[in-house]
Amino acid sequence: MMSRLRVFYRLIVRPLYREPARTLLTVLAVALGVAVVLAIELAGDAAAGSFRSSIETLTGSANLEVTAVGGVPDNVVATLATLPYPIKVEPRIDDFATIPSTGQSIPLVGLDLIADHPEGFSLPEEERAGTSSLAQTLTADNVWVSSRLGAKPGDTLRLLINDEVHPYTVRGVLKDSGDTGGLVLMDIGTAQRALNRANRVDRILITVSATPSLEQWEQRLRSVLPAGVELRRQGSESSENRKMLSAFRWNLRILSYVALVVGAFLIFNTISVSVVRRRPEIGIARALGASRTAVLSAFLGEAACFGAVGGLIGIFLGRLLAIGAVRLLGATVDNLYVSSTPAPIQLTPLVILLGLAIGVAVSLASAASPAREASLVSPVEAMARGEREYTTRVHKIRDLWIGFALAIAGAAASFAAAIAGKPFFGYAAALLFIAASAFSIPALVSGLTKISSGMLLRIGGVEAMLASRSLASSLRRTSVLVGALATAIAMTTSVGIMVGSFRQTVQVWMNNQLKADLFVAPATNPSADRHPTIDVSLSEKLAALPGVAGVDRFREYEVSYQGLPAILGVGDTLGPHPLGKVEFFSGRSTEQVNHELRDGDNVIISEPLANKHHLRTGESIVLPLGDAQVRFRIIDIFYDYGTEKGFMIIDRTRALRYLHDPAVSNLAIYVAPGADVEKVRKELESVAAGHNLVIYTNRSLRAQAIQIFDRTFAITYALEVVAVIVAVIGIAGAMLALVIDRRRELGLLRFLGAAVSQIRKLILVEAGLIGLLANIAGLALGIVLSLLLIFVINKQSFGWTIRFHWPIAVLLGALTLVYVATVLAGFYPARVATSLNPIEVVHEE
Amino acid sequence: MRSKAIAVLLLLMSTLPMPAQYQQAMSGYRYEFPRDHFDHPDYRTEWWYYTGNLKAADGHRFGFELTFFRQGVDRSSQQAGDWAVRDVYLAHLALSDIDGGHFYHTERLNRAGPGLAGASPEQQRVWNGNWRVQWIGGHQQLQAITADYTLHLTMTSRKPPVIHGRNGISQKGAGEDNASHYISFTRLLTSGEIELNGKTYTVEGTSWMDHEFFSSGLDHDEVGWDWLSLQLADNTELMLYRLRHKDGSVDPYSSGTYVDANGKSTFLGARDFSMAPTGETYASPAMKAIYPIAWKVAIPSLRLELQLKTPLASQELTSGASAGLSYWEGAIDINGTRGGTAITGVGYLEMTGYAQPMTLEPK
Repeated sequence: MMSRLRVFYRLIVRPLYREPARTLLTVLAVALGVAVVLAIELAGDAAAGSFRSSIETLTGSANLEVTAVGGVPDNVVATLATLPYPIKVEPRIDDFATIPSTGQSIPLVGLDLIADHPEGFSLPEEERAGTSSLAQTLTADNVWVSSRLGAKPGDTLRLLINDEVHPYTVRGVLKDSGDTGGLVLMDIGTAQRALNRANRVDRILITVSATPSLEQWEQRLRSVLPAGVELRRQGSESSENRKMLSAFRWNLRILSYVALVVGAFLIFNTISVSVVRRRPEIGIARALGASRTAVLSAFLGEAACFGAVGGLIGIFLGRLLAIGAVRLLGATVDNLYVSSTPAPIQLTPLVILLGLAIGVAVSLASAASPAREASLVSPVEAMARGEREYTTRVHKIRDLWIGFALAIAGAAASFAAAIAGKPFFGYAAALLFIAASAFSIPALVSGLTKISSGMLLRIGGVEAMLASRSLASSLRRTSVLVGALATAIAMTTSVGIMVGSFRQTVQVWMNNQLKADLFVAPATNPSADRHPTIDVSLSEKLAALPGVAGVDRFREYEVSYQGLPAILGVGDTLGPHPLGKVEFFSGRSTEQVNHELRDGDNVIISEPLANKHHLRTGESIVLPLGDAQVRFRIIDIFYDYGTEKGFMIIDRTRALRYLHDPAVSNLAIYVAPGADVEKVRKELESVAAGHNLVIYTNRSLRAQAIQIFDRTFAITYALEVVAVIVAVIGIAGAMLALVIDRRRELGLLRFLGAAVSQIRKLILVEAGLIGLLANIAGLALGIVLSLLLIFVINKQSFGWTIRFHWPIAVLLGALTLVYVATVLAGFYPARVATSLNPIEVVHEE
Repeated sequence: MRSKAIAVLLLLMSTLPMPAQYQQAMSGYRYEFPRDHFDHPDYRTEWWYYTGNLKAADGHRFGFELTFFRQGVDRSSQQAGDWAVRDVYLAHLALSDIDGGHFYHTERLNRAGPGLAGASPEQQRVWNGNWRVQWIGGHQQLQAITADYTLHLTMTSRKPPVIHGRNGISQKGAGEDNASHYISFTRLLTSGEIELNGKTYTVEGTSWMDHEFFSSGLDHDEVGWDWLSLQLADNTELMLYRLRHKDGSVDPYSSGTYVDANGKSTFLGARDFSMAPTGETYASPAMKAIYPIAWKVAIPSLRLELQLKTPLASQELTSGASAGLSYWEGAIDINGTRGGTAITGVGYLEMTGYAQPMTLEPK
């Protein structure tokens, strides 16, 4: 009876030790798979988790908050503060300031510093001895900054707020509260002046006692609040943002799992190859008394080791990859969702455990079938001499049917609706399609190699034909390799098609929508949830310029609708091209819709908003505005790719009845026919002197938008690259196995007079064929997946209609790259093959 | 944290040079009521002091103090918006649970803001957050809310307001600019409810209100004052204060007012009365100050001889780190004689400048 340890040593350790390169490649494939998943997880936590901090800085123990579109009227603060309840009432201004010299954007918080000071607030000693009073110090143009900003008391800090730069004096330094991206604190009066918040605050934080219940407190407080303000739990904005981000994070997560699937294919292949190659050893071990379970557990043990070691390396690698991923993800989150500063990456014990678990679990799952096969080897069969080749027991036709059934199931799943805003059935459909392709590949490989072997003989000579036959004869192994590479290619192609289509859709949309010649916006950093403003008087001055035919004003407010963030847009509905040229579901012209918008409490909403909240034309949405809850009728839905949160747009004249701040977020300027755009632009600049604005031409705005788009999707490209690297590493490993496995055959060929160059060609053609087959299968699968991404997963996650478009250049580029990489991956195995000593190999026989 | 800033704030204000933008308390001021019960933004400092002795139906005794301060910061502030600071409003609230042997006190600071604090003749109220006194008809309704205790009291004056001093001003030292306008309600019949630690007491008793406005500061060699409001059982009242010098001597500008049963008031100069500690003291654990908590008062012209004692020694209001703003203010019991006949009463005693020289102006 052989002990299990001995079986493990004989069957696993020794062979592994003999082939360190192959072992390393397999482990590396697992490591990369794990690394990608962890990197996305870590980066997601750091980039997407951090936005909560800037909103929740210095919120103390507050458990409720009052908000309103366009700000809460000041007198609500007094109403709450004079209520006969023992509650704490803290008015607050929340915005952002930009440091002009560095472009760095920092949260700006305005608090009532007379009534209360946040934790860690202090005044320099000399302030107390000065002649001016402390109250004046607190409320003048003074700021307290977090230590991260590196400013000292007494320093002058210039801040760009909305469209103007103001100098402030630093009076104190606050301790950094961990993950915030810096902070500028000032008195609420100072903040109100700086931001032109005429008698409005952004939020009122309320701390109530534990009894009675929070619900009862809400009821009590709501009864004294005007209809236009909202009372909600403190932190709901963060949780809304988190909710919105979760769909985005899920999609990334799924994308990262594809790298793992590719890794799983490769483990499966490695263990399969090991089993075949070690049949004699298995036979001997079995003859010496090793039980079936001992053999089974030996191979599973091997997989577990690959998984554990790969997992460990993957954790390390994932931590490294996360640094890059955070940067990419941070940009995406900033551009699409909410201003954020990435938090430090935290490698918690839980994440380490997750990495190990994923590595081991994926390895064990992929090894299950080959390990079982190993345990079925009978001692006699394995020990028979000459029985060294594969027995290719592949049921091509049966597998094809299974693949077909899986594809049908996938198609069915793609019609199911989203669950909690997440396309879980879509993900399942993607997995089903990948599985379907895996089952269909043996038939494809054997079919194609059969058809092409004659052709290959003519083109590539006898070596090419031999390569093709060899692939067909070791069908199972070839299929696994092709399957792994095809999955990686499919992922690349599908995401490539999706992003390319999206990009094209956005471009067409911009061409239609952006009709103005010049666009003016405050020079603050662009971000999805900040809407800095421009003084409205400027728009009148600009409109009066000789070369200007018209100016459209647009104002954006960050609002919350049904527990999710959205943007309320307020636009001119008169003018040369009010709201640009919007494309509506109904097909009506912008002029018709604008006319109706002016007519009553009507609203148009963007497609993502409609999809997210299942809203249709003719229905109503109720928005708390100013002093009232206003019911708006949805008169149309428009295509929009500007924000995933979704837009609701109302007429400016109407809006000003409820929201009294006339400031605007951006201006669209139409140049008079015949006037020179450049000249008008120069005039604008001189009129706007003193305001910090950026003026885009039509072309530069579009270029900027596309740049943001590309930055947003950089993370997906990065993920694809990693998946392809995993696949190519796998191919190299597998080819190496192939070569070692066929040393007898290759040696014989050499013995029979084949030149070294011919052997190299043979191996390279095999690699090339694998690449080609994988490209064909991958492209087909990729197209199916891209349809799924565009019409199911993306639509359900984000609500955009993307028009399908072939990004030919991108596709060709990617496919060529993969192909070249595959052939390159054949070089090392080819070298190993050519360095075989034919005499020695034949002597072994 | 919060109280520290308040203290520093007040410390600073007292060192401010007298800004030209404020008006001085001058003799001959023409009082107009009820207008003059509310704010006087032309003067830099203004306060409203409510103190009282109350008793629940079951005999449980309470004392209370609710003080609203207004301190001018910059009358001509050019800052725009609701939150510009022209005045700051400080308020002190204290509840003496005499039978329970416990003293509670709280302070708060605000600017007027969009209506956080003020003293408005239009709105007929003096308030700071949810501490307020609202005038309704002839009544003053006091409300003060904290997490631990609340007061809801209705006060009705038995007598017209008293104007202290002579010729409309209460002189606090040598010189024209060293005076205040000083008005009191000396007998406010009070009833209402006190909620303490979840228990509600229906209470009755008498309160006193002081309202003072001026722009001057405390003389340099004055360290503090001792102030008394006495409500005697024969429906007469006394207000007395003495200003103390650094060397322990008493300022000749110390004075008082006697109010007879009909509401007629008589000015008492420094030589008309004597008030002195009898030796019993209270050492405050928080500020390490020694307060004389038993007093003897004699007014020969009124043939009054009174002994004052407090039923609760620990009635010190502390203000965080600043000793300068800590003071003792508490309920007292009166025993004595008028012309040989025994007389009793209740009152309030305020002692400032024992922990550190007092930084607020005398009253």
